[in-house]
Amino acid sequence: MDATESMMGRGREAIDMIVDPESFTENAIGAKTFDDPDFGPCAAVGTATLDGQTVTIIASDGQAFNERFPVVYAGIIGMEEGYKMAQAVYASLEADADKPKEEKRPLVLIVDTPGNGPGKVEEIFGMNKATGAYQLALAEARLAGHPIIAMVIGRAISGAFLCHGLQADNILSLDASFGTMIHVMPLTSVSRIIRKDLEVLEELSKSNPVFAAGPQFFYALGGVEELVDQTDKMRAAIIDHIATVRAAKAAGQDDTLGPWGRGALGAERDGRVVRPKVMDLMNQEFAAVAGQYAPQR
Amino acid sequence: MPKWNDLQGRSFLESNARDRAVGLVDEGTFTELAGPFDRFYSPHLETLGEAVEFDDGIVTGVGRVGVTPVFVISQEGKFIGGSVGEVGGAKMVNAIRLAIEFHDTLAAAHPDLTDAEKPIVVISFETGGVRLHESNAGLLAHAEVMDQLQKARGKVPVIAVIGSKVGCFGGMGFVAAATDCIVMSEFGRLGLTGPEVIEQEMGKEEFDSGDRALVFRTTGGKHKYIVGDCNYLVADTLGAFHDQIAELATKSLADFEAMRRIGSPEKVAQQLRGVALAAEMQPKDARDVWAHAGNADPVALTDMPLPDFLAQVKRLSV
Repeated sequence: MDATESMMGRGREAIDMIVDPESFTENAIGAKTFDDPDFGPCAAVGTATLDGQTVTIIASDGQAFNERFPVVYAGIIGMEEGYKMAQAVYASLEADADKPKEEKRPLVLIVDTPGNGPGKVEEIFGMNKATGAYQLALAEARLAGHPIIAMVIGRAISGAFLCHGLQADNILSLDASFGTMIHVMPLTSVSRIIRKDLEVLEELSKSNPVFAAGPQFFYALGGVEELVDQTDKMRAAIIDHIATVRAAKAAGQDDTLGPWGRGALGAERDGRVVRPKVMDLMNQEFAAVAGQYAPQR
Repeated sequence: MPKWNDLQGRSFLESNARDRAVGLVDEGTFTELAGPFDRFYSPHLETLGEAVEFDDGIVTGVGRVGVTPVFVISQEGKFIGGSVGEVGGAKMVNAIRLAIEFHDTLAAAHPDLTDAEKPIVVISFETGGVRLHESNAGLLAHAEVMDQLQKARGKVPVIAVIGSKVGCFGGMGFVAAATDCIVMSEFGRLGLTGPEVIEQEMGKEEFDSGDRALVFRTTGGKHKYIVGDCNYLVADTLGAFHDQIAELATKSLADFEAMRRIGSPEKVAQQLRGVALAAEMQPKDARDVWAHAGNADPVALTDMPLPDFLAQVKRLSV
C-alpha cells in the first residue's frame, strides 16, 4: 500500500487490515447482538480475533448515513452511535465478567470521526449524555482490566476524539503523511476566533505544540503514544500495545495508562510541564489542612 | 471579600467564581487550593502575549457543608469564557483526585464512616469547554476529568451546579452529564454543541442562534428539568444552591446512583428509549417535548414563576 494514501472514510477497510483474516463478525459481542441494521450506522461494532485473541472492535464508518438523524453522517457520532458504542463496551464487560483481570478481552477503537451530532433534536434530547455514556463505559472497562487501544486512521476531532479515542489505554495514530487530523479545530479557525495572525501561530507551533493541528503535535504533548508510518504496520503495532498494556496492568501500573498516564507522558515529552507542578502544590496545600476536614470524633 | 451571609442572598447568575465557591459551602469553611497567590497561570496564553489570570479562571478548594467535606471547582466565565486549558484543567482533575484519595484515607481510618462524613465534589460550570489558545492541552485535560469521574464512582458523589451566564457547553457538557446529580437554576444552560456552532455548521434553518428564547428553551434549566437532564431546579441565589447541596450531602451512594443519567447498561437502555422517541417525534421545538410530557399549555411554562412551575410541571418519562 502507498504510504501516503489517506485512510479517511475507510474505517471498515481498516478493520480488515488489522484483524485476523475473515474473523470480524459485526453486531455480535458476547451474548449481545445488535439486530437493527439502521441503528447507529456511523459506528460499526463487533467481535474479531487479533493474533488469535478475541477482541471487540468499535470503528467509525465514514460512508454511512443515519436515516433517522440527518445531521449524522461521514463518521459523526450521533445519539444512537454514542449509546451503541457504549453498549458494545458494556457487552464486552459482561462477556468477560467472570474472567480474571489478565484475561479480559481487548477493545480496539478505529477512529475516524469529525464530530458529535450537531443538531437541534440532538440538543433537545441531550447529545452530551450519549457521548458521555460511551466515555464512562470505556473508562469502566479500562479500569476493569480490558486493554483498550485506539488507532487513529483519519479524523480525530475535538469532542468526538474525546468520545472515541481519548479514554483508551494507549493511542496510536497514522502519521501526518496520511492526512491524519487530530485537533479541536484547524489553526486557521483558531486564528480567526482568538484573533491572532496565522503566521504567528504557525511559528509558535514549532516550539509549542498546544495550538497546532496534527498527530505529531499530539505526540509531543503526550496525547498519542505512538505514530505509525505505514498502514500495514497498524496490526503489529496494535498487537504490541495490547501486550504492553496487559503487562502494565498485571504489574499494577495502571497509572501509566489512559488519560492519567498521558499526563505524565506530556511532562516527559516537555509538552505539558505546568500540569504536574500545579497538582503537586495542591497536594501539599491540601495535606496541610486535611485534618480540619476529617470527621471530628 | 463579601460576608458569607450577604452571599447567600445574592444572585448566582451575577456572582463570580470565587464568591460562588465560598457561598456554596458553609460559612468560613472554604480553603482555596492553588489560589491566585500561588500564581499558577497559563504559559500558553503568555506565549501568545495574552492577559493571564493567577487562578487561570478556575477556583479550586475544599470546604464543608454540615459534616461533609466538599471539594469545590468553580469556573469563571469572565476569563476567556471559562475555557479549560492546561493549568485550569489540572486544577479540576486534581481536585476530584484529591477527593477520591481523601475518601480512601477516611474510609481506612474510620470503618464506621457515615454517608454524611464522606467527601463530595461540587463543580460549578461556567464554560464553553476547551480553551482554543491551548486547545490540545485543554482536550487532554477533559479526558482526564472524565477518567476521574469514573474513578469517583461508588466512592465520591459528584454534583454539577449550573446557573451561570456562559452555561455549560462543549466538552464540559458531557462532563456535567457524567456527574451523579445536576442542580440548575432556570438561567443555567446545558448542552454539547452551542447554538452558534450548530447554525454555522448546519444552517439557520436547523438552529437560529439569534432566537434567544429558542436557545433558552432548548438548553435552559426548565427544559433540562422536564426531560430529566437536571435533577433539581432551584432559585437563582447562592443560598438556594447551598441549601440544595446541604440536602444532597447526607444522601447515600445508592441515592446518587439512582439520580444518574448515564454510567450503566440500564441507564443507557433508558436513554435509548428517549432517542427512539426523538426519532419518532422529530421535535422542531423543545415545547413539542414538553407537550408530549403532558403539559397542556407548554408556552405558559417559559415565563411561569419557579414555585408555580415546580408545582405543576409534568416531567418526561420514557
